[in-house]
Formats: sequence, C-alpha cells, structure tokens
Amino acid sequence: MISVGILANPASARDVRRLIAHASTVTVAERCSMIQRALIGLARMGVDRVLIMRDHGGIAQGLELAQKNRRKDQPLQWPKLEYLEMEVGGEATDTLNAVTMMCEQECRVIIVLGGDGTHRLVAHACGEIPLACISTGTNNVFPKFIESTVAGMAAGALAVKKVQQELVCLRNKRLMLEINGKAQIPALVDICVTSEDWIGTRAVWRPKDLRELYLSFAEPGAIGLSSIGSLVLPRARELDEGLEIMMEPSSTNGIKVEAPIAPGLITEINVDSCRPLRLGEPKSIRIPKGTLALDGEKEIEFNAEDQVKITLDPLGPWSINVDKIMGMLAKNI
Amino acid sequence: MLDLNRERLLQAYETMKTIREFEERVHIEFATGEIPGFVHLYAGEEASGTGVCMHLDDRDSIASTHRGHGHCIAKGVEVKGMMAEIYGKDTGTCRGKGGSMHIADLDKGMMGANGIVGGGPPLICGAALAKKTLKTGGIAIAFVGDGGSNQGTTFESLNLATIWNLPCIFVVENNGYAESTSSKWSVSLSGNATDRAAGFGMPGVEVDGHDFFAVYEAAGEAIERARNGGGPTLLECKLNRYYGHFEGDAQTYRPQDEVKNIRETKDCLELFRKKVTSDGIVDVSDLNAIDQKVMKLIEESVVEAKAAPNPAEQELLTDVYVSY
Repeated sequence: MISVGILANPASARDVRRLIAHASTVTVAERCSMIQRALIGLARMGVDRVLIMRDHGGIAQGLELAQKNRRKDQPLQWPKLEYLEMEVGGEATDTLNAVTMMCEQECRVIIVLGGDGTHRLVAHACGEIPLACISTGTNNVFPKFIESTVAGMAAGALAVKKVQQELVCLRNKRLMLEINGKAQIPALVDICVTSEDWIGTRAVWRPKDLRELYLSFAEPGAIGLSSIGSLVLPRARELDEGLEIMMEPSSTNGIKVEAPIAPGLITEINVDSCRPLRLGEPKSIRIPKGTLALDGEKEIEFNAEDQVKITLDPLGPWSINVDKIMGMLAKNI
Repeated sequence: MLDLNRERLLQAYETMKTIREFEERVHIEFATGEIPGFVHLYAGEEASGTGVCMHLDDRDSIASTHRGHGHCIAKGVEVKGMMAEIYGKDTGTCRGKGGSMHIADLDKGMMGANGIVGGGPPLICGAALAKKTLKTGGIAIAFVGDGGSNQGTTFESLNLATIWNLPCIFVVENNGYAESTSSKWSVSLSGNATDRAAGFGMPGVEVDGHDFFAVYEAAGEAIERARNGGGPTLLECKLNRYYGHFEGDAQTYRPQDEVKNIRETKDCLELFRKKVTSDGIVDVSDLNAIDQKVMKLIEESVVEAKAAPNPAEQELLTDVYVSY
C-alpha cells in the first residue's frame, strides 16, 4: 500500500502580525479545502492511503464533515484517509509525534501545510522522507505558495515512483542550535537574536530589538527576516553557505536596507556587518541577554549564563520540486 | 520591546493574584449558603483579563460576562465593594441589588458583568461610538466566551464595529465549554473563533490565554490600533476555567483529571512567577509580600461583607430607573 502523510498546522497565520502588519489569514476552512484538493491529486497518481493528524484546530473535523456531507452525485475521489491514533494536546509536540508516526507507517512523502515554523518541526522528525511544502503561514520562505492540487499530484507522482527522488528533490540546509551543550530543534531558514526580554506573542517585528541574524539562505523575493540578507548579499538555497549578519539600530556605520520583515511591514534595518556563514563553523552569539527567534518565532529566552552556539549544517530535510516533477510528467509530444 | 519593568510586572502579579484569591474564597464561602444567587468563577483565566486591562485607563470601557469578577478586578473595581455586592449587601458596588452577575462601576469604565450571554458586544459598540464621536481617545472592550461567540448579538456587533470602524476589541475567552457543551461541538471548525473575524474584514488574533505576556503583547497592539483609528480586532484567548460553569456544577462533562493537569502544567500565575523570578527582575520575596497583602485584603472584604447591612426595604425602588 502506497502511503503519504499530510501535516497541516491549524494554528499558523493567527498571530499578532495580522494586527501590526497586513499578514494574510488562511482560515481553517481554506486549509481543509486545500487538503481536499491535495487528496484528489494524490488519488489520481495512485496513492492508496493518506495519514493525517487529528487536531484541536478544526481541520480533521472539517475533513470528516466533507466526507460525510459530500454530494451524492459525485464520488469521493480521495485515497483512504486514516487519522493517526495519538493524544493531541494542541502543542508543537503534536506535530513531532504525528510525523514520527507517519515515518513508522512508511509514508513515502509528507505534504506539509504551514509556515516556516511548522516546516521546522516536521523537518526535525521526518528523517529522509521528502516533504511537499505548501505555504499557509505568515512568513513563508521555506515553503512556497503552490496550488495544493498540483502539489498533491507531484507528491503522488514521487510516492508511486513515476519520478526519481534524486532528480526532483533538494537536500536543504539547516541551522543547528546548541544551548549549554544541549541540542535544540534546528531552524530551516533563520535564527535571530533579539534584545527582547520576553517571548510574548512570539512574533518578531520590532527592528530596534534585532541584533544578530543567522541565515541558511537568503533568496531575493523573500519575505521575513531572510529578506534582510537577500537585500545585502543574496544566497541561493542550493549554495553551500549562508549568512551571518550583525545589526545595531543606534549605529551610524553599516548599510541601511528597507526590508519586508513581515507581510505588509517594510522597515529600515541597519546592517553593521554581513559575511558568509560556512558549513560546520559554530558561531557564538554576542549579546548577553535576550530571546532567540527560530524561523520567525521567538522560542527561547537566554541570559548571560547561557552558552548559545549556531552552526550551519548540510543535512536538513529533503523537499520536492513540484514544477520539476510536473515537467517530467509532460508527454512532450 | 514589551514595556514591562519591575513595577508593571508586580502590578500584573498583584492583579492576577487578587483575582485568584477572590475567586478561591468565593468558592469556599458560596458553599456555606450565605451568598444569594449564583456565582461563576474566573479562576484559571486571570492572565486574559489582566493582560488586556493593564493597557486601559479611565477613558476606556469594558463589558463583561456572567463570569465577570476577574474583569471587574482587572479594571480597578474596588474589591471590598465587589464582595459586599456578591453578598447582596448595602455597601456593595451596586448597593446589593445586582449581585455577582451585575457588578458595574461606570466611574471605572466597567459597564457591568452581564447575565445575558453575548450581551456585552452590542454595549461596547455603543460605548465605542460615543468615544469616537466625542473624540475622547478611549476604546471599548467586550469580553465574551466561546458560547457567547455563537450569539447573534456578537455577530451583529462584529459587523457593526467593522462598518463603522469603531475603536473596540472583542476578546473571546475560549475556555472550551459553553456551560457544559464542549466548544468543539458548538463552535464551528472545532471551537475556533478567530477565523470568524476574517469574514467581517477584521483582524483576528489567537493567543495562549495562560501566558500573560502573550496576552499583554497582543492586546497592547490591538488597543493601540483601535486608539489610533485602525478599527476593531477580535482577540481569542485560549484558556481554561478551574471551576464549573456555576458553583455547584458537578462538571461531569470534563475528563477526570483535566483541571488537575491544567493547574499543574499551565497555571498562569505559576508560569508568571517562574518567568519573572528566573531572570532576577523580580525577587520571590516581592511576590510573597504581594501574596500576603492580597490574602489580607480578601479576608477583610469577606469579614466586612458579612457584617454589612442588607439594603433597606425603602431602597427597593431606588437605583432601578435612570433619571435624567
């Protein structure tokens, strides 16, 4: 039986950036609709079974209602949908547990609906299983805005081996984080050191609080903190290096960039220094106290007694190239 | 950066602690049978009311629910008067005539706890319109539960607030139960109210209602936006109540250890204490001193409430009608 997992975060794209900027809202209803479209794509490619997490956010409930209330004149064009048997607490650990179970049950691809933060968690648990990354978060740098029908088709094509993984997947970089010698869940795109004392709503948007930024890549056209890097020294996802950026709002030196650090929010950032971040070279952060934001969300408060090290690593998750897969499916008559 | 210096942190703790100890004491005293009517306790939800109301001043109004003690305290209503009101005494905030569900103090901008589910949102639309018209710079906030978020009055208010661009906030305190009905059954999309705002073109934000800092930061942004003409916001605080819908509710609809687990892992006061003392900004002794001060206040309020006189018979028809 060919199995694919779908991990959809119901909680992404609901934070304070809806207020302080013009960050979009992807409603739970729309996420349910996106999943249904992906299911149709998967079924058409021959995927037999899809595993999905029950959640407290309404996605699983929406899918169950869609199955129950479907039109009688239209057969359901889905693979067999199975809900993972697990405790759901409404926390990040739900994602880690769900992905672990998908791996154990031999899912060949995992379709992820979420922002950078969701993908970060999935990547930590997915091992070598490739990810189809669909953006539904706030700052969407790692995943792309792609139509989920097509993403389903592409993920399905890979799952049933119509295409070869080595030709259509990219091995991504990641930023390893160690605090007092203890490894934390790595980031996929950025780790930002801020001078803020509290995690609060977790969103990062005040430029005066940004001090250090470590990026695994910085592609032009990005939104979020990596746009700072892309406006100073762009670094493609495929390159074997990232960026290390120091910022000091009060400094009169450095380069000023107008960076779109959140949807609808463009701010002036004073970049004191920007240099390549090499693979395998650990960096110690410089400010004694503050918070660490991973992939755009403040996660960890630290103080002068904490030793914080960041290292760029080449062994991040595999992600599929939807355009490439669909191109390979062309008949080319 | 969040504007939370030592003084503000201590203020936050004192407010939350006062609410907690007030509710825990009412829980005990209600069992004696001396308190008339019903009480609906806010214990467990303190971070929400406190995190929102700390941004407010006397220009601002709030409207509450049947579960209103916490909102009253957070908005600055006098604790002894509140206790006397709950006991139905003449020294109460409303002369003993309203009881727990109708405590109001217009001088403090507290438009009242409210026995009508979903009764607050229309009131604050009116208050917000007045503030906008009179250019006071004030804003209005309605607290509503997950059950109240299903009421027609709430939907009408969301619509009106949007089309008139009113300076108001709708705070949905989603504790997961509308009386005894799980919000997963009764609120579409598994109990999430945030997405409803999008249907009105209003920003909707969800925060962890156990986390004072998250509530404080999000509420601060929503309030500043409203004050500056940016219009209304829906802020959903996901949280838990420790006691039943009403005192006397056996809570058979909740899993057996649910409250115990929440108290042990997500208690907002414990989370707050741990956070502020770990950085050394606040010392444990500061918080302990507040604990003692609060316990003394609550004890005095109960003693004084019990000793206060009942409203006199000749007061039966006073304070009933508005006179202009």
